[in-house]
Amino acid sequence: MSMHETFIKELLYKMADDQLILGHRNSEWTGFGPLLEEDIAFSSMAQDKIGQSHVLYQILHELGEQPPDTVAFMRKATQFHNCIFTELPNGEYDFSLIRHFLFDTAEILRFDMLRTSSFLPLAELAGKIHGELRYHVLHANTWIKQLGSATEESIFRLQQSLTLALPYALGIFEKSPHEDGLIGDKIFGGEEVLKDRWMEKVEGTLKDTQLTLPAWSTITPVFGGRSGNHSEHLPPLLDEMSEVFRIDPTAEW
Amino acid sequence: MKSLDPRVKRLPEIASEAQQDPKISLAQFGTFEVFVQPNPKKPFQHEGAVHAPNIEMAYVLAKETFTRRFTCSSMYVVETSNVYVSPLTEGSQSVYDLVNESKDTTTTKEQYEVYHLAKRGKQHIHAGAVVATSPEGALWEAKNRFNTGTAVFNVWAIRTSEIRFTKPDDDDFWSTLPEKKFRDAADYKGGEKLKTFLDSTK
Repeated sequence: MSMHETFIKELLYKMADDQLILGHRNSEWTGFGPLLEEDIAFSSMAQDKIGQSHVLYQILHELGEQPPDTVAFMRKATQFHNCIFTELPNGEYDFSLIRHFLFDTAEILRFDMLRTSSFLPLAELAGKIHGELRYHVLHANTWIKQLGSATEESIFRLQQSLTLALPYALGIFEKSPHEDGLIGDKIFGGEEVLKDRWMEKVEGTLKDTQLTLPAWSTITPVFGGRSGNHSEHLPPLLDEMSEVFRIDPTAEW
Repeated sequence: MKSLDPRVKRLPEIASEAQQDPKISLAQFGTFEVFVQPNPKKPFQHEGAVHAPNIEMAYVLAKETFTRRFTCSSMYVVETSNVYVSPLTEGSQSVYDLVNESKDTTTTKEQYEVYHLAKRGKQHIHAGAVVATSPEGALWEAKNRFNTGTAVFNVWAIRTSEIRFTKPDDDDFWSTLPEKKFRDAADYKGGEKLKTFLDSTK
């Protein structure tokens, strides 16, 4: 395998695993959402994420990796490359909303950068799902603006979740060992550029609320997920997600 | 911190002095009407209503509630109280037979969107836009412009300025919908598999 291909696969795996794991987490709200309309919206977006992970696994399969179902359901936790942020339990809805806002803001910026990627399957995917991502971000921003300046309780709870989430959110931008190669081969502009753009967007949205951001330099990022060092929350998630598939991996649906 | 639990809010306060205050309304969301355009060649049609604290939230919540399954090219929402509703007719009588020129004294003209109910039990469908000085004036203008003689059983008029439209940049919200056939029950053709299974268990 060429170095070029190694860079690409590493990027695809971390993106696909982020989407799959967060898609699964968000889908746990199905039937429990705070109001019916929101339950439907959040479930639909979770489904979009899992769909996007499927396309990424499909691209990996075309590069010689195992088929999507095998990759999604048969790997051990240490073989997953999602950031720890995506695997954390839902907790209350305030935390899920904050995670949705912080993660999806990074996600749309990442795909925006990938629209000009030299790796064409990624550039095409970025163009195709642009509308989905725009809706996810509109949804997140609207909720954050609403609850971030609504009542004493809503502001307090969002602030608490924001403070808890930020170190993990910075873990999204854990650098790849192939960072220079990805940038050099014009596959992806790099985590550092993405992180700067993300900080600017997050600041911009929170400016319209009563939520406050600590100085970025005071936050210690939680890394590890990209190299398979996960929290205790990932194995139970994988067990549940793959429970049916593992009963009979050869079954046709 | 005050609780958001409505049961806690509804506990009566114990009086310290006699007073008569207006009854406080319940902290429930208002409703917004949702209109969907199935494809660029078709008119917008009324799809239903959502509960929301404001029109922007209503737009966000309506998108997945009403356009997650069938093809859609655009959507908009308006607060329910901004929809002006004509009387209802039935049989061969058209609402437009009851409409006379309104004697409105205001002169400021505004654009209104007009919707027809062509069949009882169906949705209201966008008929076009008129310029008028009041909702009643809009109904009169609509009678002159859109009355084809076929009975219309109910007419809605909405000030265009009250509508939260889809922004031009956002019209690709629905571009991947045709690939999400799995959200429609019709995509699950289990008949053959079920037959094979039943045969094998005989």
